[in-house]
Amino acid sequence: MLPAFTDPHMHQISPRASPKFTIATSVFIFCCLLSTVRVLRDAPSPGRRQTNDLANGSDQRFAALKAALPPQGIVGYIGEPGDPADYYLAQYALAPLIVDHSPNHPLVVGNFPLSRPANLSDHLHMVKDFGNGVLLFANKDTQ
Amino acid sequence: MPLALAALLCIACGFLLVSLGWLCRAPRTDDLLLRASLSVGYGLGIFSLTFFLARIYGVTNLVAVDLVVFALLLVSFLLLRTRAATSAIVSSTRQEIHGPPLLHRILTSAFAVALCVAVYSAILRTLAHPHGDGWDAFAIWNLRARFLFRAGTHWRDGFGPLLFWSHPDYPLLLPGATANFWIYLGHDDPAVPAIIGFLFTFCTVGILFSALSILRGRTAAMLGALALVTTPFFIEQGTSQYADVPLGFFVLATIALLCLHDYDSVNPFYSPRLHALAGLAAGFAAWTKNEGLLFLCAILAAYFLILVSSKILRDASPQPRQERPHDSWISFATLLAAVAPAFLLIAWFKLSIAPPGDLFSDPATTLHKLLDPARYWAVLKWYVKGFIRFGHWLPIPGTLVLLGFYWVAGSREGEEPALGFRSSILALILTLAGYFAVYLITPYDIYWHLRFSLTRLFLQLWPSTIFLFFVSYPGGAKAPVPGR
Repeated sequence: MLPAFTDPHMHQISPRASPKFTIATSVFIFCCLLSTVRVLRDAPSPGRRQTNDLANGSDQRFAALKAALPPQGIVGYIGEPGDPADYYLAQYALAPLIVDHSPNHPLVVGNFPLSRPANLSDHLHMVKDFGNGVLLFANKDTQ
Repeated sequence: MPLALAALLCIACGFLLVSLGWLCRAPRTDDLLLRASLSVGYGLGIFSLTFFLARIYGVTNLVAVDLVVFALLLVSFLLLRTRAATSAIVSSTRQEIHGPPLLHRILTSAFAVALCVAVYSAILRTLAHPHGDGWDAFAIWNLRARFLFRAGTHWRDGFGPLLFWSHPDYPLLLPGATANFWIYLGHDDPAVPAIIGFLFTFCTVGILFSALSILRGRTAAMLGALALVTTPFFIEQGTSQYADVPLGFFVLATIALLCLHDYDSVNPFYSPRLHALAGLAAGFAAWTKNEGLLFLCAILAAYFLILVSSKILRDASPQPRQERPHDSWISFATLLAAVAPAFLLIAWFKLSIAPPGDLFSDPATTLHKLLDPARYWAVLKWYVKGFIRFGHWLPIPGTLVLLGFYWVAGSREGEEPALGFRSSILALILTLAGYFAVYLITPYDIYWHLRFSLTRLFLQLWPSTIFLFFVSYPGGAKAPVPGR
C-alpha cells in the first residue's frame, strides 16, 4: 500500500480497492495505451515539416500583390471554379483588405494557382502578373 | 523577448485574478498546478478583453493598458487578501482509492508515457501546421485576429456582411488574445495562436488532473488525465487552432470550481469566491464561442433548478445540512454577478458590431422543422453514432471504455451528490439538449451540419464529462465520510 496523502490539514480516507476495481482499472489503462498508439501514429513525421501548410504558402504567394494594393478597402476576386478554399486563403493573406468574390470592383485579384485565366470578361484588363498564378486586374466598368 | 514579456504579463494577470478568488485549501502541488493551469486561460481572457475594449475606445498604447490592468489586479490582490483567506486552515475530506502498489506503478508509468506522447504529437502537429490544421483556423479565428491587428482603427471592417462566410458573429476571446500578443511583437507571427492552442490543450489536462487529485486523489486524477491525453481527437483539435478545446477548458474550469466549492463547503469561513471564479470562467466560455453562451445559460439554469429543488426537498426532510441555505443563494447571486460583465459585453458585441448569425437566419421554416419527426430521428441517430465513435480512439471508443469501467467497478455509494456536482451534470445535459435543438432548426443541410460539427461539440464537453465521471468514480470498498 502506498503511503496515503499526508497534508496535515486534511483527513485522508483510503478505502481498499475492490478486486473488480483493480481489474477494471487494468483494462482501462490497457485501452488508453492502445489509443496512445494512435496519437503517436497520427502525428506528422518530424522530417516532413510544413508540407501541408497551405496558409503559409498562400501568404508568400500574395506578398508582392499585397504590397501593391491599398492598405484598406475592398477588392474584387476571380479564381478557378470549384473549391472555395483558394478564395479563403486569398482573403487570409490579404487581410485587412476585404476580398469580395466578385469582379465588380475597380481592382480585381486573380487567383489561378493551377491554370491560366480563361474566358475573362472584356471589362477586365490585366495590370500585373505577380507570378505563381497571382494576377491583378482593373475593371474598366467600375473606374 | 517581447513574446516572453507579454506571456509573463498575461499569465501574471491570470494568476492574480485566480488568486483573488482562491480559498480552496489543497495539497501544495495540486493547488499550484490548478492555479497555474487556470491562470493561463484567465490571463488570455483578460488579454482578449483589454484588447477589445482598447480597440472600442480607440486606445493605441495597448501595452500601457495591460500594465494598468496588471497593476489594478496586483493592488486588489494585496488589499483583498482577507483574514479568512490567509488564516483559515480547515479540515477537509476526500475519499481516495488506493489499489495494489503494482497497479499504481503501472498507472503512473502509463500516464507518464501517454502524456509524453501527447506532448510530442502536439509539438509535431503545431510545427507542421503553424497556421492551424483545417479551414476554420485561418478562415475564421486567425482571419479575425489579423483584422483586429492589421486594420488598426479600421478593425470593424472585419465584421462586414461581405465576410459572412467567416462567421463574424463569433465571439473574440481567441482572436483578441492573439492580436494583443501581436501588438507586443509588432507583426502577426503564426506562432502566437499555435502556442495559445497548445497551452489551452495541456492546461485543460492540468485542471483535470489537479482538480481530480484534490477531490478524489491521485489515482482518480491519473485515470482521468490518462483518458483525456489518450483521446486522439483531443490532441488533434487542441493543436488545430480551432476554438473547441479552449471552450472545453472554460467549461471544465467552471465545473471544477463549482465542485471544488462543494469540497470546500466544510469551511466555516464561508466565501462565494470560487463561485465568482466559476462565473468568470463561464463568461470567458461565452466569449470564446457561441456554444459557450449556451453553456453559460445552461449552468445558470441548472444551478437555479437544483437550488429550488433542494429547497423543496430540504423543507420536506428533517436532516440537518452542512451548508446554510442562504449561502447557496449567495453563491448563485455571486455566479450571476460574475457572468454579468461578459454577458453584457457579448450582448453589446452581438447587437452593435457583429452581423446577425446564420443559425436563426430562416425563422419562417423554424416551426416547420421543429414539427418534423424525421429531423429528431436524424439528430438522435447521429448523437448515438457520435457517442460510440467519439474521440478516434483505437480500437475501443473511449466513451465505451468509461461505461465498461463503471459497469465492472461498480457504483460509488454512501454520499449524496452536492450542489455544484448536480448542477454541473444538469448543465451538461441542458447544453447537449441545446445542441440538439440547434441541429433541429439549422438552416443548413442537417446531415452536412452534423457531419462537420457534432464531434467537435462533443469534444467541448469531453474534459468535463471525464472530470464528473471520476469525481463520482466507482471502486473501492465503501468507506464512511466524516463531516458529510
